[in-house]
Amino acid sequence: MGRYIIRRLLQSIPVLLGATLLIFTIVFALPGDPIAALAGEKQSNPNLVAILRERYHLNDPLLLQYWHYISGVLFRGDLGINFSEVPVSQLLAGKFQVTLNLALTALIIEALVGVGLGLWAALRRGKATDTMILASTLLLISVPTLVSGFILQYILGVKLKQWTGADIFPIAGIANGLRSYLLPGFVLAGVSIAYLTRLTRTSLAETLRADFIRTATAKGLSRRRVVGRHALRNALIPLITFLGADLGNLMGGAVITERIFNLPGIGLQLFDSVYLREQPVVVGIVTILVLIYIVANLAVDLMYAVLDPRIRYE
Amino acid sequence: MRVTKGAQIVAGTALLALAVAACGGGASDNGGTAAGGGAETPVRMELGEPQALLVPSNTTETEGSEALGAVFEPLVTYDENKNAVEAAAESITSDDQKTWTIKLKSGYTWHNGEPVVAQNYVDAWNYAANQENAQSAGYFFGRIDGYADLNPGEGKPVTTKTMKGLKAVDDSTLEVTLTAPFSQFKTMLGYTAFYPLPKAAFGPDGKVTQQYGEQPIGQGLFKMDKPYRKGTDQTIDLTVYDKFPGTKPKNWTKLQFKIYTDTDVAFNDLLANNLDIHDSLSPSAISQAKSTLAERYQDQPDAGIGYIGVPLKYNPELNNVDIRKAISMAIDRKTIAETVFSGTRAPADDFINPAIAGYRQGACKACTYNPAEAKKLYDAAGGPKTLELGYNADGGHKEWIEAVANNLRQNLGIEATAKPFEKFASILDDLKAKKYKGLFRMGWAIDYPSAENYLTPIFSTGAIATGSNYGGYSNKKFDELLAKGDQAATTEESLKFYQQADDILIEELPYIPVYFYRNNSGYSTNVKNVKVNLLNQIEWADVEKA
Repeated sequence: MGRYIIRRLLQSIPVLLGATLLIFTIVFALPGDPIAALAGEKQSNPNLVAILRERYHLNDPLLLQYWHYISGVLFRGDLGINFSEVPVSQLLAGKFQVTLNLALTALIIEALVGVGLGLWAALRRGKATDTMILASTLLLISVPTLVSGFILQYILGVKLKQWTGADIFPIAGIANGLRSYLLPGFVLAGVSIAYLTRLTRTSLAETLRADFIRTATAKGLSRRRVVGRHALRNALIPLITFLGADLGNLMGGAVITERIFNLPGIGLQLFDSVYLREQPVVVGIVTILVLIYIVANLAVDLMYAVLDPRIRYE
Repeated sequence: MRVTKGAQIVAGTALLALAVAACGGGASDNGGTAAGGGAETPVRMELGEPQALLVPSNTTETEGSEALGAVFEPLVTYDENKNAVEAAAESITSDDQKTWTIKLKSGYTWHNGEPVVAQNYVDAWNYAANQENAQSAGYFFGRIDGYADLNPGEGKPVTTKTMKGLKAVDDSTLEVTLTAPFSQFKTMLGYTAFYPLPKAAFGPDGKVTQQYGEQPIGQGLFKMDKPYRKGTDQTIDLTVYDKFPGTKPKNWTKLQFKIYTDTDVAFNDLLANNLDIHDSLSPSAISQAKSTLAERYQDQPDAGIGYIGVPLKYNPELNNVDIRKAISMAIDRKTIAETVFSGTRAPADDFINPAIAGYRQGACKACTYNPAEAKKLYDAAGGPKTLELGYNADGGHKEWIEAVANNLRQNLGIEATAKPFEKFASILDDLKAKKYKGLFRMGWAIDYPSAENYLTPIFSTGAIATGSNYGGYSNKKFDELLAKGDQAATTEESLKFYQQADDILIEELPYIPVYFYRNNSGYSTNVKNVKVNLLNQIEWADVEKA
């Protein structure tokens, strides 16, 4: 068990190194001079550009630049600085927190609503409730985050406050603590809720037809116990897989939600930094995202063992 | 229930760790409102994220300038007639437009209590001009004698730390010698780059510290409550400085800049009264702002201008002035300003913007839409049958460039196509590499509010190498008129020469002016008397709480 975890973590080292090199190369290959672009549309002072290029090692060949970066990270724990001289570690610490809050809020909403609706639909299979739930998930899938975000923000943020005077759902920013994340979390979770509902419905409906469920019912167990203990637990395995993989997706794909709700998270930062070609920032963010994928996948694999005692890791 | 205990523990720990990590942020974020609010609700102002740390000499964009404008008092501000008037300076005089004497007003102190002395200006300007400090606003000091010594060029060591043309005669007098006469020097001094720096700004190595850049100590109306950590903080909180000698706001003392990444989101916050002043409404918000905010919506000229650039140096086909006139007359500026930009732009009819002294309405005759005349002129001059219009795809220019291309197609009967480039710099690179020779989008935002700033940096011969003269236009007479304007003894006289220079541009159309920017702002019911000045900053002392 312990060995298994250590082996999995060791395996992630080459993955991380490979990912950083790959991202570093991709950002390197983007066209244009990032320093000259700092001046916007005015002619940049060639002197200044030369000095800054020197300072950020931009005249060196790719591998040497990568070495400058990776040696800083490995030997000094220094993630480098961006072009406005803010240390990347400081830049990311706060933003990472914001995105993690957002993604976990979304994940919790998604798990509760998605599994709940799926369960309900599966138990009422073929009835009106089932059809309605399926139809509404279709709606959730087809409305893009951009649209649902702006509409919900306008109705629940602006209009609700104008009508009631109470600031229930903050429109923008993170100044209201965890309450700030409720609306953006829901918007971010939207599409996943729909998928999870459908997944739960199918998975549970299938399990409910299994032999051991008939046995459990025949044994005289209550409906609640049959569904909760026997059916749901077995149906959970694909759902956990989905949720685990989705955490990474939510964190990396929160750009639009972060923009709509003005949350200073890593999604927006990644977008800006790719544009500005700030390699240390881009690589830093991607590394963290890769780490999260690895840890989330590991947690999912371990959850299998919790849910299904037949699965053992040696 | 048989579950491997190890797996249960590990999975549980992982989940717990994530949950704890999430909660940590929530708690610390709560601090934001408490610190900003206190007993008094601050006046809340919209801001985009400043590009760099808040150091005046390294701030050349509007957002950082807006924040610094609240913390610092400039040497000059601008009156209703768009002329520079002394603010932190008592007087700014020169007999020959070359040696300038700046007397400082007494009574100004830094937010840490120290008095402001002339040496503070000298230190700040020398620091800004020195190439080793790589300050983005360093070029503002290029006219001061001794700038060249601080900028010997790439890889060469700087042997001095000071410009010889810059001297503090005593604590309240500053003497500045320029390399050549320049009548607009006083007008320049209102800009962010010319703010002074206190002793506390510099670290032991003589560089401005990061700590200072996070919480600049100024000599202006507002003092920063706490450091602003770029990238993490969403607000910049300020309080009126008690010892500020100038006018203070009547009935409030707290100001808060709220940082937004999207101006439409800020507009929603304004509608919900979570924000008080918003000075960068986007075209999509205009119609709703007009109807919802009514008299709280303001629309005024902004000093920016948008052109279609002509690569004279790279494309000899466009050297015939009639071709450029024909292109200019074929552009339906009114429709572009009103439809494509929802009225957030005005049709351009001069090279000088209406926000600045020296603008003449309708000066550019060839800027009037006249498709019939355009076609005749174009055919007679034998203009090229195909034209490309390059634009940078990162700045919302696609729509209007395509509208222009459409105008040219229909009115001139030629093959005109819009061509996207990823960044503005890529257009210039391709022009220089002779890979591209079509027209290009160009815009200009002023560095200081003088008519001269629409001419010298973009069209003078000297600006081909060091300025923004990307088309490579060169005209001796134009250069001479600029020099005369720079040497003129009075503002009126210099303006006369600049307008003559402007006339040459209007005659020759090295670029084709298309639109002037407008500034669209709105404010909430919590405040009144909100005015935006020439530098797009709010006149804070005038703002009152309703």
